[in-house]
Amino acid sequence: MCMARVDRSVHKRGRATSPQIPPEEHRLAGSAGAPLPEARPIDIVSLHKRFGSVSVLRGIDLQLRAGEVVGLMGPNGAGKSTLLKTLSGLYSPDGGQILLGGEPVRSLGDRPEVAFIHQDLGLIDEMSITDNLRLAQRPSYRVWPLLDHQSEDRLARRALQFVGLALRPSTKVGELSPAEKTLVAIARAFARGASTLFVDEATSTLATSSARRVIEVLRSLARAGAIVVLITHKLSEILEAADRVVVLLDGQIVTDDPAAGLDREALVAKMRSVDSRHAPRDDGAGDGPGAELVRFEQVRSQRCGPVTLTVRAGEAVGLTGTPGSGLHDIGLMAAGLVAPVAGKVHRAPGVRCGLVPPHRETQGGFNDLQVRENMSISALPQWRNRIGLLDGRRESRHVAGIAARLSVTPRSPSAPFWVLSGGNKQKAIFGRLLLQQPDVFVLCEPTRGVDVATRAEIYSLITQLRRDGRGVLVLSSDAEDLLAVCDRIATVGSGPVEEPEPVGALSTGQLEGIL
Amino acid sequence: MSSGPLTAGRRDRPADQASSGEDGGAVRRGGAITALRGRVLQEALTVVAFMVIFAVYGGWLGGKFFNVKALILDVHNTVPSLLLALAVVVTLIAGQFDLSVTGVATCATFLSVGLTIKQGWPEAAAVVLVLVGGVAAGLLNALLVVGLRVNTFIATLGTNGLFLGISAVYSGGGQVSVPLGGRQLPGWFSTIGAFTGKCWPWLTWTVIAVAVVLGLRGALARRPARLTPPVWAGLCGVAVVAAAAVAELVLRLSEVVDNLSWAVALLLAVACVLWLVVGHTVFGRNLRATGANSTAAWLTGVRTARVTTAAFVIGGAVSAVAGIVLGSALGSATPDAAGSFLLPAFAAAFLSTVLFSSGRFHVWGTVIGGVFLVWVGQGLISGGVNFTWMDVINGLVLISAVAISTTFSRKGRPT
Repeated sequence: MCMARVDRSVHKRGRATSPQIPPEEHRLAGSAGAPLPEARPIDIVSLHKRFGSVSVLRGIDLQLRAGEVVGLMGPNGAGKSTLLKTLSGLYSPDGGQILLGGEPVRSLGDRPEVAFIHQDLGLIDEMSITDNLRLAQRPSYRVWPLLDHQSEDRLARRALQFVGLALRPSTKVGELSPAEKTLVAIARAFARGASTLFVDEATSTLATSSARRVIEVLRSLARAGAIVVLITHKLSEILEAADRVVVLLDGQIVTDDPAAGLDREALVAKMRSVDSRHAPRDDGAGDGPGAELVRFEQVRSQRCGPVTLTVRAGEAVGLTGTPGSGLHDIGLMAAGLVAPVAGKVHRAPGVRCGLVPPHRETQGGFNDLQVRENMSISALPQWRNRIGLLDGRRESRHVAGIAARLSVTPRSPSAPFWVLSGGNKQKAIFGRLLLQQPDVFVLCEPTRGVDVATRAEIYSLITQLRRDGRGVLVLSSDAEDLLAVCDRIATVGSGPVEEPEPVGALSTGQLEGIL
Repeated sequence: MSSGPLTAGRRDRPADQASSGEDGGAVRRGGAITALRGRVLQEALTVVAFMVIFAVYGGWLGGKFFNVKALILDVHNTVPSLLLALAVVVTLIAGQFDLSVTGVATCATFLSVGLTIKQGWPEAAAVVLVLVGGVAAGLLNALLVVGLRVNTFIATLGTNGLFLGISAVYSGGGQVSVPLGGRQLPGWFSTIGAFTGKCWPWLTWTVIAVAVVLGLRGALARRPARLTPPVWAGLCGVAVVAAAAVAELVLRLSEVVDNLSWAVALLLAVACVLWLVVGHTVFGRNLRATGANSTAAWLTGVRTARVTTAAFVIGGAVSAVAGIVLGSALGSATPDAAGSFLLPAFAAAFLSTVLFSSGRFHVWGTVIGGVFLVWVGQGLISGGVNFTWMDVINGLVLISAVAISTTFSRKGRPT
């Protein structure tokens, strides 16, 4: 649907404005032939980083050359983030060198030719594409200080063509699809003169097809002479995109091999982790679904519906769809936070819902509060004493028990939440629900941005909940989640959503459609 | 809004790097020690800075500065401003700026004095009405900020003007004071704000005794596993005796108790209640969560609208108490009585983020920070510096407190 809208605008724009584009800019159209200054080689030599007595990077040696897509992976806490932060200059290394074109540099962060693209992209939704691109560049003036909007639009259009986007530069970034936003962020990096790109999990929030689109662009940029380093948890993306795979484990590089020789199993083995496909999934265990807990009856949200859906005790129901499909609205409505536009959500009397929110980094937790406070927030009333004051010791004991069970690191529950890595944040948020003990667990994107090992842990946790007679509703744009843990699944698209079908009853065609 | 709790302490330490196996223990210990050292250094730094200032004052002014009675008098005179700081800190914890506290306090001063003098109400009725008015003022702020989603600065700036205006209309633009031979304020009301109105020593000693017993009970229950109960009890006993000795010999506790005015006792009582409410109740935790990330709080089931409303109501009520104390102390009401308290109130609240508790707004930190601020200023005044410098000092302390806490909290922290 979204694509259709964009395509129409392309035609309109094409007729109206293409005569104004000078011929030399036509040459830039499409990213394949984009003239790009060839990236200078980057050599990382024996890079060390310690925090107190803890060695986090223990001698990283890495060569990055123009024309390559390098996939960097490793489990949570392996040192990926620290490596990136050291390269970008946020941390100063304790040893080793960073060479750019053979010259030692303090960091890559202050070099215009190197860009870091993070998961949140750093775009401002309320501003147009042109304004977003201009933020990073020298403005062009008509008469100083009056801006020359026409030439800025022209520059913006050129930058967009660079990544194969044909959008009106006046479009607000907030109206773009997630993949388009990612591409705009990439365009901005190159408009600034970048020829080396570190892409940190920027594709992990995208649905598979959108991620593929972004990866195509990254690959063609690499062909044109850029260096692209892709950091992602998704094995399939690494295998699809990367020319070379680098695996980080305990602060050291354990693998630096051409991707051609690797397959999924080999990679997983290298990460010494469990493949998510083999997560415990015990069909038929338990007594089958029990009492009805939540029922959606022709429910509509702003973006999706009508949805018909039932969650019973002891079963896991899964829905998938692209992030723009309103998938997570269903979660908010199930948890009772948002009222449906039409239809009714029936909740059995006394049934409580707990929610794992979809956007962990912005909505999941309280960065400045302690891990303990983050985990206990939904379960506080149980620790009140006779006069209504919280019994901090009982609370700490319970939280510590759950944190240990989920192996949240660091162990100290008094650490601020923001020191946790993404996977550990997700575990802590799961811990919040385990403390709350709701009847229905509504899990939005339960495995987004977590490593394979944590993913497997989360899967077995969900399976356990189901076996304990809880109802589970999984809303994930990653269809792998659904196949791993859910009894019944359905897809959320533009049309109505029917009662999810048992996984076993789906035909191969339907399954492929979902994937 | 930048009003979220400001994390202090050097944070060049992503603790998520803990690896498995035997490394894990080392990681945790190392990390904890680094964190502890960072925090102690950080928190001690602010306190030490104040102690150095006071030591310098001691050398410079001697008994003119180190005089228990004078120091408590300074605190006594600042009680309205410290109460406003408490009103402000509750809303700051919820992530809101309440700029209307001085307007509420001014209005409360006029009504608590004027209703008795001009209208002839019984003082008790006036006090009750003023407290109800403070709650209503908080509800009005909440209606604007929570209900109508008006920007919190604009909304509370506007209501501040509104309350000041109401005061002006009520008094006809001038001041309200006790006329010669006219109606007088009752004695009990004047006692609240007068330094001569001392809190009963037996009451103070009882409260101190209860606090010691409760503290001791808590400490006994926190016995580390490697110590036997008698050893631990002995240690606790020694600690209590040592603390008592320090309190009496260094802090002159009995002299403090003798000089404790009703206003200061009221301040301590309000702070104590707020400390329990904010730090030790479900509501307090929800308040912090709302201030830290209101979307996340809402998603976990916290009723953020209700929590924010309650914060404004508490702020309004405490501001009204500040106005009552002010009216009692002055025995009259002037249009600009409370206006100059806004800056010191915010300075004390923000000082609490660097004083202790790792960068959060903190009730006792606010009281202590405010008291330190007053002493720093009074020391200069008794040393001969003109009192007009007070606002310069308050402004500088406010700015440096915020600057220090944000500088330390940004290190390595994702924004």
